[in-house]
Amino acid sequence: MSLMALREQLNVLVNSMFLEGLLDQQFRQLQMLQDASSPGFVAEVITLFCEDSERMLTELTKLLDQAVVDYQKVDAYVHQLKGSSSSVGAQNVKLACIQFKQFCEENNKEGCLSALNMVKHQYYSLRSKFDTMLQLEQRIQAYGSEQQN
Amino acid sequence: MSMEEVEEAREEGSHGSMFEGGVEVRVLVVDDSPVDRRVVEGLLKRSGAMFQVIAVDSGKRAMEVLGLTEGKEAEQPTVDDPKIDIILTDYCMPEMTGYDLLKAVKEQSSQKPIPVIIMSSENEPQRISRCRAIGAEDYLLKPLQTNDVLRLRDYVRPKALSPKTGTKRKIAIEMMAENSGSERRPCLAGLAVA
Repeated sequence: MSLMALREQLNVLVNSMFLEGLLDQQFRQLQMLQDASSPGFVAEVITLFCEDSERMLTELTKLLDQAVVDYQKVDAYVHQLKGSSSSVGAQNVKLACIQFKQFCEENNKEGCLSALNMVKHQYYSLRSKFDTMLQLEQRIQAYGSEQQN
Repeated sequence: MSMEEVEEAREEGSHGSMFEGGVEVRVLVVDDSPVDRRVVEGLLKRSGAMFQVIAVDSGKRAMEVLGLTEGKEAEQPTVDDPKIDIILTDYCMPEMTGYDLLKAVKEQSSQKPIPVIIMSSENEPQRISRCRAIGAEDYLLKPLQTNDVLRLRDYVRPKALSPKTGTKRKIAIEMMAENSGSERRPCLAGLAVA
């Protein structure tokens, strides 16, 4: 596949993610921060986000699995996940976290469990698209490296 | 696995920046979120060859970088030559919050304590007032934008900034700021004044 075709495929993917509400304009901010001196910036941030998110989702699952739920700890993790998803432009994840926080404040375990499932659903939908995005980015970067050699 | 992360990044005009000869502003970024640390670092570096970024993941680590430990003051060569020019700290952090860090920095007996900017995702007037009341120079809403980073320069002591800055890169940076949705970023400092 040509470089132009790869870029077009990436653009189509990213645009579809905006249309589906997976991403918001904050993601465009990240893209603007990527340049020749920092060509892997977006990929790096996405990778950090995914690693951190999965860590937090694991912790949240454990906390909500307890007989007595520590809602303060749950809220702290949800707050942090909301923050990082906001920072990368992960709109649907952020919105799901906002709902989750409301259930935390109400000490509503059923609500929290339902919200956690929603956050996971949104996150893994996004993660799947991010994986494709990173693969395309890598192929585009590889093209650039070949042309320089 | 330790979550500590201390980085020093030097931007030296690799884009043909006109900041040649300019003095870099040393920013200590404090945030327990690795994502937010990286994004803020990217914003600072992308704004031009002006910021040297040191990023840490906790208030405790920030205190170590600043040379502040319990009961001790910063060990700085002179008041006019601090290791850090400005602190950009998240508010919500475990153990030692940004507010705690702000208080510790401002309680130094130095005549010119380091400027501290608070970052938070929460737009809470009471929180803003609390921070301003003990000396925070500003309170920025997360996620930070280019405009916010440009404002940091206003809080650094004049001698830390070199007049030898070119206009071409500055215009490019501020055009980027204009295009980044500056309308969503009112200055919040005024809320605390009332």
